Amino acid sequence: MTINAIEVNNLTKKFKDFTAVDNLSLTVKEGEIFGFLGPNGAGKSTTIRMLCTLAQPTSGSAKVAGYDLIKDSDKIRQNIGLVAEKMIMYDRLTAAENLRFFGKLYDMPKQKLEERIKELLELVNMQEWENTQINKFSTGMKQRINVIRALLPEPKILFMDEPTLGLDPQTTFSIRDITRQINQEGVTVILTTHAMTEAETLSDRVAIIDHGKIAALDTPENLKNMISHGDTNVFGTKISNLTSELVNKIKSMDVVTAVAQQDDYNLKISAQGENVLNEIIDTIRGEGGNIASVTNSNESTLEDVFLAVTGKQMRDQATEKAAPTHHRHGPTPKARVR
Amino acid sequence: MMNISKILKDSYHVMAKDMLELRRNRMQLAALFMMPLIFLLMFGFIFPSGGTQQHMPMGIVNLDQGQGSDEFLTQLNLINQNTSSMDFINYSSVNEAKTAINQGKIYGTFIIPSGFSDNITNGKSGDFTVYIDNSNPQSSMQVQQALSGILSGLNDMKAEANVLQLAKDTDQQINPQTMIFPYVLNVSTTIPGETNYFNFLAPGLMIMIVMMTVMTGIPEAISKEKEMGTFDGMLSAPISQISVIIGKTAALCTRGFVQCVIILAMAMLLFGVTIQGNLLLAFFMLLLGIFSFIGLGILAISMSGDQASGTMIVNLLMFPMIFLGGIFYPLQQMPWFMQDISKFIPLTYAADAMRKIILLNAGIGDVLFQMLILVAFGVVTMAIAVPLFRKSMTR
Repeated sequence: MTINAIEVNNLTKKFKDFTAVDNLSLTVKEGEIFGFLGPNGAGKSTTIRMLCTLAQPTSGSAKVAGYDLIKDSDKIRQNIGLVAEKMIMYDRLTAAENLRFFGKLYDMPKQKLEERIKELLELVNMQEWENTQINKFSTGMKQRINVIRALLPEPKILFMDEPTLGLDPQTTFSIRDITRQINQEGVTVILTTHAMTEAETLSDRVAIIDHGKIAALDTPENLKNMISHGDTNVFGTKISNLTSELVNKIKSMDVVTAVAQQDDYNLKISAQGENVLNEIIDTIRGEGGNIASVTNSNESTLEDVFLAVTGKQMRDQATEKAAPTHHRHGPTPKARVR
Repeated sequence: MMNISKILKDSYHVMAKDMLELRRNRMQLAALFMMPLIFLLMFGFIFPSGGTQQHMPMGIVNLDQGQGSDEFLTQLNLINQNTSSMDFINYSSVNEAKTAINQGKIYGTFIIPSGFSDNITNGKSGDFTVYIDNSNPQSSMQVQQALSGILSGLNDMKAEANVLQLAKDTDQQINPQTMIFPYVLNVSTTIPGETNYFNFLAPGLMIMIVMMTVMTGIPEAISKEKEMGTFDGMLSAPISQISVIIGKTAALCTRGFVQCVIILAMAMLLFGVTIQGNLLLAFFMLLLGIFSFIGLGILAISMSGDQASGTMIVNLLMFPMIFLGGIFYPLQQMPWFMQDISKFIPLTYAADAMRKIILLNAGIGDVLFQMLILVAFGVVTMAIAVPLFRKSMTR
């Protein structure tokens, strides 16, 4: 019998008038990699902070590792590991000193702790950096230590909040590898990301989250099928004389659920119903639009799904492997969430 | 609920980690040692010292040229040799001396009028004038102080000679000193030997430095970790928030203690402060002082959230404490309303008790009142601050 690693019931978090997490309900099965996909300010980090007992929910309840969020927060903390958005490490301490300090907080026996530190440093190939201060490390090296720090007490559930944000491709791949590896060893992983491919390649199931609500929740495969086989169509079109009036005209069509402008010529359009493609093309032509091409690939991506279910495009909020800092022009400013 | 030994163990880990971080930070380490040195030197020397000035340049204009004025000047020189408070320069006229005053060469001048010797020989009083430059009140006061000392010495010498002469004339056995000074004052002090401002300053400064370290340190240490994100790492581990507070406070206390030892050693070595009391009791008092300030520090960080505003709140609380806590001036010299305000400041009691313990060898019984107030202040502020802190941590 499988038990649920996490059960969330109507979890809500309000910051004054702003609702960061809005009546969230979901379950995460043991051994799953569960991805939260959403733009900055969608409520991903706040959800994780609540589940890690770092933030008090305004209402609702949740069970983590079988323990109640409010009543048994101590027990929850014994069973979780956290890779937060900010790295949890002291710059002036060495890698080993950092690991040792956090290990001691979990009351790990000295010998076991030392063995575990050795083992984990090997896992990320950083044995020779054991006694080097963190401030001499590159961002990628820091993040590798940061991840194994969360793994020290052998948690049942590992929370990873944007674990590859701002990392070089190489480290990104290695972090994803480690995530898969520990998941195979039985650790449940809760992942937040705004990188499509990360959610798609890592997660068993993905919750698309926007404005604190779940817009869609399923396996990446099913989410994509929802578009290719369902009622919803997402297709791209290139219009050589694209104007904002034309975009607004398309948006105002009844069948169109969302329009995302990708550059000066390319649009992504999400629409509902049969034969909508012809209808939309007719409208564009009727307005004098000069259609250069239409792409309606059978291979839809999570990005298409995101557009279809949230009416927004993900691409604006963040591009994978982009700048090391956050893009701050999401729908809601990040600052309000923290 | 977590048991106490786990809380204390975690506190120790947090403290050890903080100390290790401090040890790696050379700048902070240097500041830790410099702060008490600079404070002691600075506060020790900015206030005008109580001692008398020496070698004050004074002019002498002798318009008399008789035997009486020669004798007077010889005695003046003789008495001045003991203290060297003045250096004499002769001028031939009053105007010449006044010019020298205006040029800043002398602080003032003795003017012995003509007929001075005749007056003395004829049994009249030997009047003379001292013309003082009081554009600088400080040096004018010093000159007057030195003058009154010298004058009473001169009078004493003259009187003694006169009394001896009278005794000889009337053929009596007389001790001139008991005739001239029938009352003799003996001053006996609580602290043997000479005391100086540092005696007053050092105990208060010790407690003040610890207060500054702890009160600015707690909000700083906590908000730094919050802003870096490492706080989440501690709080998502199975440890109590109390352990974080205790651990951080303990690390800060260690820093404060090191600074106190520096102050004490400096005060003893450089400024001749002597310790009359029980050092153990003094350090216990220091701990109590820290205990009374912790709550305020936690309150500051709970209310503000970030480092900048935390520091501002602490400064707002700290500056009145420093100046109204009776560290630099005795409270009794302040206006009554300031004295009333100072009664609400824990530093007042901590500094007072510290001074009594170190300087007067006061026992626990003598400072029990101060101790109770400090404990009460600490308990009340912490009862308010700790729940607020816990709440602010899981906002």
